[in-house]
Amino acid sequence: VVPGETALAFYKAKNPTDKPIVGISTYNVIPFEAGQYFNKIQCFCFEEQRLNPQEEVDMPVFFYIDPEFAEDPKMAKVDLITLSYTFFEAKEGQKLALPGYQ
Amino acid sequence: MSTAMNFGSKSFKPRPPDKGAFPLDHFGECSAFKERFMECLRHSGYESGACRQRAMAYLECRMERQLMANEPLEKLGFKDLIDEKSEAKPEK
Repeated sequence: VVPGETALAFYKAKNPTDKPIVGISTYNVIPFEAGQYFNKIQCFCFEEQRLNPQEEVDMPVFFYIDPEFAEDPKMAKVDLITLSYTFFEAKEGQKLALPGYQ
Repeated sequence: MSTAMNFGSKSFKPRPPDKGAFPLDHFGECSAFKERFMECLRHSGYESGACRQRAMAYLECRMERQLMANEPLEKLGFKDLIDEKSEAKPEK
């Protein structure tokens, strides 16, 4: 991935149970300092997503690394950035305190 | 109720995506496009830049099926690919 160039990545999620699950995910970027340069244009996160029993879906993330990353001397040795997502089961009334996207 | 366990370092603040969330492609309407993109990545040694054409095709698929808000592709970082396309048009 080249800083400044938009890129697409896919994750896959499966609901192995026989009940629908509603989940919500948040993400993490490693190394920590690279997180400020990671810009998501669109992804599946922050909104509740419902997975039916046994359903498996592709979860895309469309993002770019801020070109300023290449200028930051602290990032000079960073050639691997890891993006991970954690899914939580959404409970009634539990909402992440973030602007809603319809 | 926040736990600040790291002394001196900033806590990671997740930011929501600029353009919101992708609805799930429950019916796999764009799976074929995704597969073509993944195939390209495998063949190119996972060079994201080599597969932008197919990434663009995937996003176009989503837009056509209301699985993504319509956005001009030039604004999604594909301007150079669009310009190439319009230059190649006379051959069609």
